[in-house]
Amino acid sequence: MSGRDPGGLLDRLVDATVLERIVISIASLVFAIVVGGVIVTVSGTVATCREPAFVLASREFCYDPIELYRTLFDGAFGSLINLGLTLQETSILLFTGLSVAVAFRAGLFNIGTQGQMVLGALGSALTIGWVAPSLPENIAGTLVIVPLAVLVATVVGGLYGALPGVMKAYADAHEVITTIMLNFVAMGVAFYLVRNHVGDMTTDSVQTTPIPEFARLPPTIDGTRFSVLVLLFGLLAAVLIYLLYERTVVGYDLRTSGLAPEAADYGGVDAKRNIVGSMSLSGALGGIAGAMYVLMVHYRWETDMPALGFDGIAVSILAGNNPLGVIPAALLFGALKGGSLQIDFALGIPPELVEVLRGFIILFVAMPEFFRMIGSYAGYGTEGGETDG
Amino acid sequence: MTWDRRTFIAGTGAGVAGMLAGCVGGDDGSGNGDDGGNGNGNGNGNGNGNGNGNGNGNGNDDPMQVGMVYATGGLGDQSFNDMAHEGIQQAQEDLGLEFRNAEPDAPADVGELQRNFARSSDPDFALICCIGFVQETDLVENATDFPDQNWMIVDAVASDDDGPLDNVASYVYREHEGSFQVGVLAGMLTGMDYSHGGGSTNTDEQMVGFVGGQEIPLIERFEAGYRAGVQHVDAEIGFTSAYAGDWNDPATGQEIATGMYDDGADIVYHAAGGTGAGVFEAAQSEGRYAIGVDSDQSRSAAEFSDVIVASMTKRVDTAIYESANNAANDSFQGGQINDLGLAEDGIGTVIGQDFEGELPAEITAELETTKQSIIDGDISVPDNLDDL
Repeated sequence: MSGRDPGGLLDRLVDATVLERIVISIASLVFAIVVGGVIVTVSGTVATCREPAFVLASREFCYDPIELYRTLFDGAFGSLINLGLTLQETSILLFTGLSVAVAFRAGLFNIGTQGQMVLGALGSALTIGWVAPSLPENIAGTLVIVPLAVLVATVVGGLYGALPGVMKAYADAHEVITTIMLNFVAMGVAFYLVRNHVGDMTTDSVQTTPIPEFARLPPTIDGTRFSVLVLLFGLLAAVLIYLLYERTVVGYDLRTSGLAPEAADYGGVDAKRNIVGSMSLSGALGGIAGAMYVLMVHYRWETDMPALGFDGIAVSILAGNNPLGVIPAALLFGALKGGSLQIDFALGIPPELVEVLRGFIILFVAMPEFFRMIGSYAGYGTEGGETDG
Repeated sequence: MTWDRRTFIAGTGAGVAGMLAGCVGGDDGSGNGDDGGNGNGNGNGNGNGNGNGNGNGNGNDDPMQVGMVYATGGLGDQSFNDMAHEGIQQAQEDLGLEFRNAEPDAPADVGELQRNFARSSDPDFALICCIGFVQETDLVENATDFPDQNWMIVDAVASDDDGPLDNVASYVYREHEGSFQVGVLAGMLTGMDYSHGGGSTNTDEQMVGFVGGQEIPLIERFEAGYRAGVQHVDAEIGFTSAYAGDWNDPATGQEIATGMYDDGADIVYHAAGGTGAGVFEAAQSEGRYAIGVDSDQSRSAAEFSDVIVASMTKRVDTAIYESANNAANDSFQGGQINDLGLAEDGIGTVIGQDFEGELPAEITAELETTKQSIIDGDISVPDNLDDL
């Protein structure tokens, strides 16, 4: 490639060392915070409020950006309860982030984590509903039902992930399109089933019967639902997946099959089977995220699940699709979630503006990594070819 | 309360005098509207706003705090959530209380926001209002965990195995009764050659439509009542219904309604929160009519007043006001289930502001008759689609 912009810039971006990339990410974060603060301050001049946050040059500013970030930080880490909320969100984002990262490693863009999570969550909630009555309501029951619920969610999510994998491998249907569409299928089917057949018919909400006390993961921090078990499980999963892809033959096969199927075939690897394998693994992780949501957060399946699966895409991109990088990325997103709940609660700043702020941080921080991936995909840089670090 | 202050409905006045847009008083409140609507209503119904409300709490150093958790459609829906917001604003004005809003992005956030309010000790919330059926399960759990906290819920009853929770006041509505009324209106209008405001009827075909938010029993109750009202007029009238699957998706609402108008529907009634704005949009561009829901939408969505023939009102604002007032007077009605319909003026019908006195007299007369019949029990309105 030529050394002139923008090619040269992309070359440099693709060739950036890990340290450089971390510096770029942190600089982007700071930049996003500054720009977001300016936007919030400026929009405070057109809003009407009873008590302006401050008055400058005889203009009334309704929102104080410093107060905003203070509240954001306070909401994320300010108290044990807030920390619990942040870590609760982080734990689930670990799984959805890993789900997307696993597929990315094999050059597959799984946008279907949301749907896989929705079905995994439904599978675990229903399994608990069916099995719980025949179990003792004590620790023994917990030890049976929790692993069972996770297992069912893994299988359901894995199968639903395998579907676009099969379509990709054997029918050449692009996984971006199929996974997006399968999200809607999952949500629609789940809604229909719960609304008409397997849900809690005593309420207007489209939801399953709440799971019994002994099936709920015990909260680690009083007053929250955060369970450290899920966080440890998520961290373990991140390390295991890192080792799988970096240290094992299976991981190598999975990667090459997605990135260069012809080369893999030439090397004696069944590329098609490995593509299905990557998508199944990705879907299984999405399914586990769903089970964790039911067991730890919501204690039931309910329609309109939060977009943790979609957030997983941003987490993964931010992490450069590195399974270990998913850990800090998930923490950042978890903190943003915990913080934005607090802003909604404590400040008169409309939640839409907080969303804008969240969007800025995602955009600014993820974009360098995103361009790096595109550049690498398009053959810039000295190594090129892979979409990971 | 002076009636000539308000714009109101000719003809159906008897039924709706208690339902003045913005008149939050209800049975015990102040007749103090906040929508600035005025004019001379010749409605002379069972007006029940008996003067001024209870202005206690004013000037107090430490005003009472109310927490508001809205439904997922969010504020700005010009309908359900905004109606609740209006109620608490009115209470703020009259009772000198303060309130704080929280809007959940998704059902999953509801429980956390409720707990947030309940946990807070500075300020300490005397009452937490939970707007919408979606909050029921979380509220039952939280009300049990925070037994000293007063709560109220709209659109669901908070109860456990032992009956209603005694720290929650529940408000539910018989929406099918009001929907029946607008069904009668729609059924009669589609059979007429009528043209006023921004639309006209299609005389070739007799057909009406319904757009719902999510396909859940609560919204099917609206559809059932509406359908029964249409059939009450003439069982031969064509009926089409569809659900948008979202409370805040005007684009889908517009798409669905445009299809219905193209198929020959004259009037489309929506029970879809913010999605309904799309229905009005479609009515305007197709030159047909629409019926609003929850609040007098010819006012709350005034840019569409030329096509909003009427609205089925659900006085969520009164419920909020009432429970805030009760809490302020230390007479909070925990454990009470308020089941409100036409007879209690919790549900009603309001003719759109551009259509007052412009509807054929036989329609307004028939609406009076059916209203009385429903109250007297002579007409029994189905509350689900299976009973139609």
